[in-house]
Amino acid sequence: MAKVLIPTPLRQFTGKQDSVTVPGGTVREVLDALTSQHPDLRKQIFTDEGKLRSFVNVYLNDEDIRYLNKDATPTAEADTLSLVPSIAGGSTVAAPPEEVTLSKDEILRYSRHLIIPEVGIDGQKKLKAAKVLLVGTGGLGAPLGLYLAAAGIGKIGLVDFDVVDFTNLQRQVIHSTKDVGRNKIDSAAEKMLAINPHLQIVKHEVALSSENALEILKDYDYVVDGTDNFPTRYLVNDACVLLGKPNVYGSIFRFEGQSTVFATEGGPCYRCLYPEPPPPGLVPSCAEGGVLGILPGTIGLIQATETVKLILGIGEPLIGRLLLYDALGMRFRELKLRKNPECPICGEHRTITKLIDYHQFCGVPQQTAQAPVEEKKVTEGEIEVTEVKEKLDRGDKFVLVDVREPHEHQICNIPAAVLIPLGQVPQRLGELDPEADIVIHCKSGMRSAKACGILKSAGFKHVRNMKGGILAWSDRVDPSVPKY
Amino acid sequence: MVAHAQRTYPNECCGAMLGTIDGDTKDVSESIALENAFAGTQAERYELRPEDLLAADKAARDRGMDLIGIYHSHPDCDAYFSTTDLKNSCPWYSFVVLSIQKGGFHHANSWLPNVDQTAAEKEELVY
Repeated sequence: MAKVLIPTPLRQFTGKQDSVTVPGGTVREVLDALTSQHPDLRKQIFTDEGKLRSFVNVYLNDEDIRYLNKDATPTAEADTLSLVPSIAGGSTVAAPPEEVTLSKDEILRYSRHLIIPEVGIDGQKKLKAAKVLLVGTGGLGAPLGLYLAAAGIGKIGLVDFDVVDFTNLQRQVIHSTKDVGRNKIDSAAEKMLAINPHLQIVKHEVALSSENALEILKDYDYVVDGTDNFPTRYLVNDACVLLGKPNVYGSIFRFEGQSTVFATEGGPCYRCLYPEPPPPGLVPSCAEGGVLGILPGTIGLIQATETVKLILGIGEPLIGRLLLYDALGMRFRELKLRKNPECPICGEHRTITKLIDYHQFCGVPQQTAQAPVEEKKVTEGEIEVTEVKEKLDRGDKFVLVDVREPHEHQICNIPAAVLIPLGQVPQRLGELDPEADIVIHCKSGMRSAKACGILKSAGFKHVRNMKGGILAWSDRVDPSVPKY
Repeated sequence: MVAHAQRTYPNECCGAMLGTIDGDTKDVSESIALENAFAGTQAERYELRPEDLLAADKAARDRGMDLIGIYHSHPDCDAYFSTTDLKNSCPWYSFVVLSIQKGGFHHANSWLPNVDQTAAEKEELVY
């Protein structure tokens, strides 16, 4: 028997009583009796497994039972049990290290920051002391690199092994036309240093991998994910969780983007949101699906804003919230994200304790920093573009099918080809003769290979895939055909 | 509470809020300054001794009042509920965070954590 004092907010579960006297010879028996009399209290005090919640301290009179005999501590009739939560907290944003100073030039440069009370000299010093890693210097990395450099981040690491391509210029504003063919990392670093010579840039010109990720990430305070593929996204997430570094996430597709902050202490991670990658090919990349050039600017700058807020410790960080942006509707929406207690990497029973093979995990072939391997010889069922050209010139009887989308056909086409977009192929088989000699092409050869498979399994006898698609046609047959 | 927070600046302060609860309205009429028991640098952390909280609860009962919540300050920081705050909180009480900027009171927010301490709801705070 003992009297249990009920904290004010819990009295709603005890019929407003501020104390309840219940039977029991030990603390545990008393608490069990209490929660069976008032079952709604149970969830407040015990976890689903029946353990005392981590924040609950039990006091027998004025002694913490942890220093007595824990919940086996005997109770007598005159005893009073109190439930006392353990409370702590803090802003947990480190003050700037004392050795960081701002020169006269820097004070002038950052004056519009310094006069905001929320930033001020201390805030600007925090930015200068901060070390941020940008993974990717492409669509998202471009605005991130420019603005984080301008904002006065002290040290920015860049990870990229790609080369600037003409198709990048529509959105990757850190690279100029004259940079085409140049290493992205050099091009980006040059622009960032032109904006802010006080910046220290570290170039990591490698493909981020399970072998090097922890080594690269460990020297930074924050990681900003500007990648465009699932293996790297999972790799960045896992490495951030393992190292305890916040991961400022963004992703883009056509007119829509998302952003959030993962892997903060107590916050959800990318795997809490997406435990498994989508099947390969289901979610197209920018190269496959296209993207509004301005979109990465919007999303990248949301990431930059969150990064700066985290460093300064101001505002409400985008933790546990997934911000969705729809450029066509010009609307923002927000989804609540919860930490998944069963998350394989940040949950209570973690099964992933080191980095894994992410290309295998995502079912996609590995991208490497090395030069592409020499193209394979024409395999069975394939035909070279030059041979297709010869067939056309000879006037051979055959059907050339273009399985791209109508808007791609508008960009460029081979006049002799019939347009049947891949998605319509199964329904439009009737338009083709199963006995005819058929050559199929698309942009680069992937979709046409799928179409060949569909035709062959439908009983078509002479089906071949034009190797390299219309891009190869432009390279080797007709240079006047534009590439896209 | 503000005076307490300004006194401990640039360190964090903490204390208990006493008052009355009427339906959804919690009316704080008294605050008790408690000692920040965090062993390390207190500019960005605080810790309450459970004994102190127990004493505050007793003081409330003795005066016919309710222990409504806990307050603490964020020196040179906004009054958000940090993940450290959330993980070391409890769902029974309201948590008022005072933002103290350059030694002066800037703004305050009140937060009510959920039972699993995975999120905290912002409560309307009139002051």
